[in-house]
Amino acid sequence: MDLRYTAEEEQFRTELRSWLADSIPARWRDPGFWSVLPDNEAFELRRDWERRKAEAGFAGIAWPTEFGGRGGTPGMKAIYDVEMALADAPMTVNPLGLTFLAPTVMAIGTEQQKREIIGPMLRNEVIWCQGFSEPGAGSDLAALRTSGRLEGDEFVVNGQKVWTTNALHGDKIFAMVRTEPGSQKHRGVSMLLIDMNQPGVEVRPLKQMSGASEFGEVFFTDARVSVEDNLGGLGNGWGTAMLLLSFERGASGIGQYTVFRRQYDDIVATARTFGRSDDPVVRQELAKRLVELECLRYHAMHVLTEVEQGHDLGSESSMTKLQWSEASQDLWETFDDLLGPEATLGHPRPGLDLESMQQEAMWSRSVTIWGGSSQVQRNIVAERVLGLPR
Amino acid sequence: MYFALTDEQRALGDSVREYLADRFDLTAVRGVFEDPRGDGHPRELWKAVGEQGWLAVCVPEDYDGLGLGVLDAQVVARAFGAGVVPGPWLTTVLAGEAVRLAGSDDQQARLLGPVATGDTVATVAVRGEGGRFDASGVRVRAAADGTLTGTASPVEYVGVADTVVVAATEPGGAIGLYLVDPHAAGVTVTGLDSYDGTTRLFAVGLEGVAGERLAGSSAEVLTALLDRGAVLTAADLVGVAREALTRTVSYDIDRVQFGKPVGSFQALKHHLADLHIGVTMAEHAVLYAAFALDSGSGDAPLAVSVAKSKAADVAREVTATMIQYHGGIGYTWEHEAHFFYKRAKREAYAYGSAVEHRDRIAALTIDG
Ligand SMILES: Cc1cc2nc3c(=O)[nH]c(=O)nc-3n(C[C@H](O)[C@H](O)[C@H](O)COP(=O)(O)OP(=O)(O)OC[C@H]3O[C@@H](n4cnc5c(N)ncnc54)[C@H](O)[C@@H]3O)c2cc1C
Repeated sequence: MDLRYTAEEEQFRTELRSWLADSIPARWRDPGFWSVLPDNEAFELRRDWERRKAEAGFAGIAWPTEFGGRGGTPGMKAIYDVEMALADAPMTVNPLGLTFLAPTVMAIGTEQQKREIIGPMLRNEVIWCQGFSEPGAGSDLAALRTSGRLEGDEFVVNGQKVWTTNALHGDKIFAMVRTEPGSQKHRGVSMLLIDMNQPGVEVRPLKQMSGASEFGEVFFTDARVSVEDNLGGLGNGWGTAMLLLSFERGASGIGQYTVFRRQYDDIVATARTFGRSDDPVVRQELAKRLVELECLRYHAMHVLTEVEQGHDLGSESSMTKLQWSEASQDLWETFDDLLGPEATLGHPRPGLDLESMQQEAMWSRSVTIWGGSSQVQRNIVAERVLGLPR
Repeated sequence: MYFALTDEQRALGDSVREYLADRFDLTAVRGVFEDPRGDGHPRELWKAVGEQGWLAVCVPEDYDGLGLGVLDAQVVARAFGAGVVPGPWLTTVLAGEAVRLAGSDDQQARLLGPVATGDTVATVAVRGEGGRFDASGVRVRAAADGTLTGTASPVEYVGVADTVVVAATEPGGAIGLYLVDPHAAGVTVTGLDSYDGTTRLFAVGLEGVAGERLAGSSAEVLTALLDRGAVLTAADLVGVAREALTRTVSYDIDRVQFGKPVGSFQALKHHLADLHIGVTMAEHAVLYAAFALDSGSGDAPLAVSVAKSKAADVAREVTATMIQYHGGIGYTWEHEAHFFYKRAKREAYAYGSAVEHRDRIAALTIDG
C-alpha cells in the first residue's frame, strides 16, 4: 500500500488549484447564485468558463496530447476531479461528449473523426447529446426502433429519443439507429453522429421532478446524416455502444467522494442548526452514511490502482456505480430525516443553502436510474461477477 | 497510488489458506466445535502457526519477528476467518502488540521472542461485563502497590494462556496494562460456554493479584491495542463473510427448484449482488484501516471504526443469508452454516459493536 500521488501529480495539483482559485469568481459560490440565473445564462457562463479552462490546459487531463489532451496520468485525472469539487467549480456542460464520445472516438474513430470531433468538443464549440433511450427502449436498449433508411450516401432517420440530457443545448447527438430494416435486437444497429441543427430534428424540453429541464425529447422526421458519420462501422452500433458505456467507469469515485463528503459536512451543519446533532438516532444514521462514503473512497483508490496497473475493470464498474449512487441517495434520505416536518419547506435559513440541498436530494433520485439502473447493475454483478445463472 | 496487497502479502494469505484447506478443514473445525469441554486449542495447528511465522508478523526483527505490520497480520486474520479456525492466534498477537507498544526494552526482549514462536500462549483482558471497549469499560482496579482486583469478560482462551494482558484503572485515573499469570493466587477463571464453538471464552476474576506493569502503558496504548483488536477482528469477519457468501452462491447455482437453479431467481440474485458489494467494501475498509494504523495516519481512528462497523454489519447479514438461502439444510447442525453465523455473531460485538464504532464516527465527524 502506498497512497501517495507522485511528485509530478502533486505539482499538477498545485498548478490546477491556483488556476481554479484565480478563475472562479467568489460570487459564484454565494448560496443561490446558480439557481436564480435563467437556464440559458447559467449554461453560457459555464460553457465559457470551461472553454477558458481548456485553453489553460486543464481539460482532457489523461487524454493523449495529440488529441488536445494534457497527456496526464490517471492519478492526475483523480486529482482534477477532487480539486474541481473542492473549488466548487461549475459542472461540465459537455458531460456526454467528454465522458463517452471522446474516448470512444480516440479508440475506434476514423482519423477524420478524431480531428473533427475532439478539438471542437474540448473548446465547447459543439455540445453533444447521447441518443440511446427511446419510449420503448430504456434498460432494454436493444428494443430501439429509431430507423435509418439509406438514400444515396445519406441515412434518412425517423423515430424518437427520450430523456436526452442537454437536448435543448445540443448541437450533435450520437444516436443508436436501426440502419438495417427488419433487423432484430442488437443486430443491424449503427451509432450515427447526427447534426441536431437541421429541420428534421425537433427538440422538446421535459420538466424533471426537480423542476429543471436538463433533459428532453428528440424527434427525428426525415433527418439526414451522411453514411460516413457513423462511429465504429455500419451495423456495429451495439459493439460501439458497449465500448462507449465502458468509459463511464474509470476512477471517478475519488472526486465523487469529495463531493459527497462536502455534502455530508453540509448535512451535519444542518443537523446542528436544527438542534438535532446530539440526537443519538441521528448520530447513528449519519455515521452509517459516512461509513458508506468512506468505503467509496477506499474502493475508488483500489479502482485507480487497477487502472494504473492496466487491469480491465470489467463488471467491477457496476459495483462502483451501485456503491456511489445508493450511498448518495441514502445520505439525502438522512438529510430529510433531520429536517423532519421542515424537510419539504422552502424557507431559507441563514448560513445554509437549503434550497440547493433539496435540489441535490431530488437529483439523487435519478442517479439509480440513468447510466444503467440499480436493478440492471445488480443483474450484472450477480451474473458476471458471481456467476449466478440467468 | 497503490491500494492493494503486495505479492508477498498475497502469498502469505495463500499459504495460510492452503495450509488450512489441507490440514485444518471444516471437519477439523467441527471436531473442536462439538467438544465444548475441550480447550479449543488444537496443538498440531498451533505448532504450524508458530513454525510458519504467523505469530511473528508484528514482532520486530530484533526479537526474531518478521517486523511487518497490521496490514500483514490482517491477511492471516482473514484466512483464519474464512476457515472459521479456532485457537489463540489473535489473542497472542494482540498481547504481543501490547508488549511491543508499552513494554520496556527488557520486557520486550523477554516476552516477544516466545510470542513469535508460539512458545507463549497469551490473551488480553480489557473489558468487564456490560462495559464498552474503551477505558470506561475497564472493570479492574490497580491498587497503589500494583495488585489488581476486579473482573474481565469475555476473555478468549484464558484456559490455555501462559500470560494475560490485563487493563486496569490506576489510582489517579490512568490506565495501566499488566501481565498476569492466570495460575497465580487470587485469579479465578470461569468457562462461559459460548455457542460459538470456534473459540473458548472465560470470565476472569482478580482478587489482589500481583501483576507486572508494562512500563509505557497508558490510556493511549489501550486505545491503540483496542484499535488493533478491532481491525484484526474486522479482518476475521471479512474472511467469514466472503467464505459464507461464496458457499451460498455455489449452493444456489446447484440447487434446483421449480425446474431452475434457485440462484436464477432475481430476489436472491440482487440480494447476493448487494452482499458481494458489501463484503468487497468491508475488505477495502479493513485494508485501509490496517494501513492507517501501520502508517500512523491521522484518520486511523475513523478508519478503524468504519472497518469494524462495516465488517460487523455485513458479516452478520451474509451469515444469516447463508442460512436462509440454503433453506432447511442451512438450519441443521450437520451443515456448516452455523459455524459462520455464530462466529460472526461473537466477533460483531468484540472490540466494539457496530453501534459503538458508529458512536465514535459521529464524535469524530459531527463534534470534531
Ligand atoms: C436524469 C436522467 C438523464 C438521462 N439522460 C439520458 C441521456 O442523455 N441519453 C439517453 O439515452 N438516456 C438518458 N436517460 C435515460 C436512462 O438511460 C433510462 O431512463 C434508463 O436506461 C432506464 O430506462 P427506462 O427509463 O426505460 O426504465 P425501464 O427500463 O422501463 O425500467 C423500469 C424499472 O424496471 C427495472 N428493470 C428494467 N429491466 C430490468 C431487469 N432486466 N431486471 C430487473 N429490473 C429491471 C428498472 O431498474 C426500473 O426500475 C436519462 C435518465 C435520467 C433519469
